[in-house]
Amino acid sequence: MLLASREIRRAPVRFGLLAGAIGLLIFLVFFQQTLLSALLNSFTGALQNQSGTVLVFSSEARENVEASVLSPDIVAKVAAVPGVGQAGPLGVATLTFLARGQQVDLAVIGAEPGKPGQPTKLISGRPATAAGEGVASAEAQGLAIGDTVTTAAGRSPVTIVGLTEQSQLSVLPTLFVAYATYMTLRKAANPDATAVLASAVAVIPSSGVSQQAVAASINATVPGVAALTRSDAVANAPGVSSTKGSIAIVLALAVVVVALVTGFFFLILTVQKTASLTLLRAVGVPASYLVRGLFHQVTLVLGVALLIAVGLLLAATATANAGLPLTIEPRALLTSTVVIVGLSLLGVAFSVWRVLRIEPVQAVSRPGLGGIE
Amino acid sequence: MKVALLELRRRPWRFAPAVIALVLLTVLLLVLGGLLDGLYNGFTGALRAQPGQLLTYAADAKLSVVRSRIDAATTAEVKRVPGVEQVGGLGVALVGAKVPGQATEASVALFGYERAPHGVPAPPRQTGQVYADTSLKAYGVRAGQTLLLGPTQYTVEVVGWVSDTNFLIQGGLWGNVETWQAALASARPDQVLAPGTYQVLTVSTAAGADPTRVAAAIDVATGGTTHTVTRSFAVDSLPGIKQQRSTFNAIIYTTFFVAALVVALFFALLTLERIGMYAVFKAMGASSGQVFGQVVVQAIVIAALSFVLGAMLALAARGVIPAQVPLQLTGGRAIEVAVGLIVMSTLGSALSLRRVVGIDPATAIG
Repeated sequence: MLLASREIRRAPVRFGLLAGAIGLLIFLVFFQQTLLSALLNSFTGALQNQSGTVLVFSSEARENVEASVLSPDIVAKVAAVPGVGQAGPLGVATLTFLARGQQVDLAVIGAEPGKPGQPTKLISGRPATAAGEGVASAEAQGLAIGDTVTTAAGRSPVTIVGLTEQSQLSVLPTLFVAYATYMTLRKAANPDATAVLASAVAVIPSSGVSQQAVAASINATVPGVAALTRSDAVANAPGVSSTKGSIAIVLALAVVVVALVTGFFFLILTVQKTASLTLLRAVGVPASYLVRGLFHQVTLVLGVALLIAVGLLLAATATANAGLPLTIEPRALLTSTVVIVGLSLLGVAFSVWRVLRIEPVQAVSRPGLGGIE
Repeated sequence: MKVALLELRRRPWRFAPAVIALVLLTVLLLVLGGLLDGLYNGFTGALRAQPGQLLTYAADAKLSVVRSRIDAATTAEVKRVPGVEQVGGLGVALVGAKVPGQATEASVALFGYERAPHGVPAPPRQTGQVYADTSLKAYGVRAGQTLLLGPTQYTVEVVGWVSDTNFLIQGGLWGNVETWQAALASARPDQVLAPGTYQVLTVSTAAGADPTRVAAAIDVATGGTTHTVTRSFAVDSLPGIKQQRSTFNAIIYTTFFVAALVVALFFALLTLERIGMYAVFKAMGASSGQVFGQVVVQAIVIAALSFVLGAMLALAARGVIPAQVPLQLTGGRAIEVAVGLIVMSTLGSALSLRRVVGIDPATAIG
């Protein structure tokens, strides 16, 4: 162990560069994980952070809330299913608004006041209860309580009475309004529309009834609908699985690179030191001591690299302007750390094998060590 | 050169770790590239197929086909703009389709069109008849079948096939304007448009006219109520297209970097183990360039072999992946991957150059 530590002290640049390189790679993994959770939140935050714990879509919409349309009789049938405590229509649409003279796209979510579908992450102001009132997500930059937005044609004004956080939908800021206001906005956007139908039904089960049981009951009772628990609706929302999949590939690649770099570095080091290690074995040093030294060095390098990565992550999340609210999730980082350390230790297995393969007798057969071949 | 190839032939297992890693990376590169191509084509096919150089949207739709509305009066104004030769209306309804005998519903984009896109015949005369994109065969769609669209199950009959006409990863169905309007009225009453109103106009410019000037003239003539762009701009403006491309390209470039790293580390180790042999070569008169040339040749051969094996594996994987997954393996993408892999492997092997140059021939004698 002493030997391993001494070697690091004698070659600080070599080991420092390795720790720095691995630290950067681990930072890449951590930062991508943080970005992923922020991105997923911006895809589905509005669904996650509304009060309905079960969401019912039309079955042909394939779990895409904006592609779903439900007629009023279906909404009534869902509300009548045993186990449904509260139910209300939910309207979801992307519309262009005029805000402070600028055209902005907002995802409008309409729910009947007092019924499921209300924003649950209100950070200031109050919920929208009357026609012409709205709660904007804090990500709608430039919108503040008291501001008024109108349709692109300057009609149907909506006054912002509250602000909510973590409530984006499809990476757009949202505007929560009363269902009547939603209908007005949709009609203003397309006066030719013959009807404005609900996109979904937001449901809160009766007390003592689970979300899963209510969803199953609705699916069994009402034809042509797909009822999902809120968490399932979020997980199945369009873009979520493909985004998760793409970033998972990058993360997996980065983790493999960390393990590769660590493994190859220590393998090259072991090959370079083979003559010295052979001599040590010849003078009685057990192989286990050399292997422990190897693991000691790997652990030290990874420890320093992790410290560098965490420091960089803290700095990046505090200063980066990714257009998304970045929040560090310790559990995800801990999982990544365990995987990285595990794979890196696996990566040095070949070096361990090389050390264990060293025959002390080779010390007297190497010309470089004074032996005769 | 000869020694390098002889070593590869006589001791192939020595190179197995690098080949295995590169084969896996090749499969990853081909599948990722194929997915990127498939997704891009699936998102944009319908717009890329449109006739004419320009597309006109409502200004407040922010280039969203679904949210755009252009009424008959605006269409007439566009037709009168100097430099405009032909104008056609286009509309789409994004709905789910029930396929007879299939449990899984297909997501379809039903287009109503006045001017036939490239590869699509003139609009069917009969309302309710559509041409279907061949990608819908993966969902069990057959010619002559009746599909049920939307929650109210509006029926359309498939009368022929077209290809590469999907929109937003939804299978393209192409019918006349009346079919589209009827489907909207049935499935999406909130998106119904008045007769003569379309979502987008396809505009062909007269010979010799500058499309960008004509586009600007159209928007001026309509008093700023329209936003006219070139077809390629419209394609790139579809939601998620740029982000999708940049995400996939980032993964692909990272993978190329990993390939270079694998080759670099592998040959760094190999060179380290063969220092004695290279010293003998140098003592016999071989130059550093000749010795390094051997390393490069081995890297290129390994990369080429890995590509061939990886491509075969990717083709086998294509047979296993469900047909609904938009994976398109093309020759162009394969060439790109092959060239990229060989270049990155050559660059990776170059990392051993310093060590090769530093070998002292005198070490050959102790």
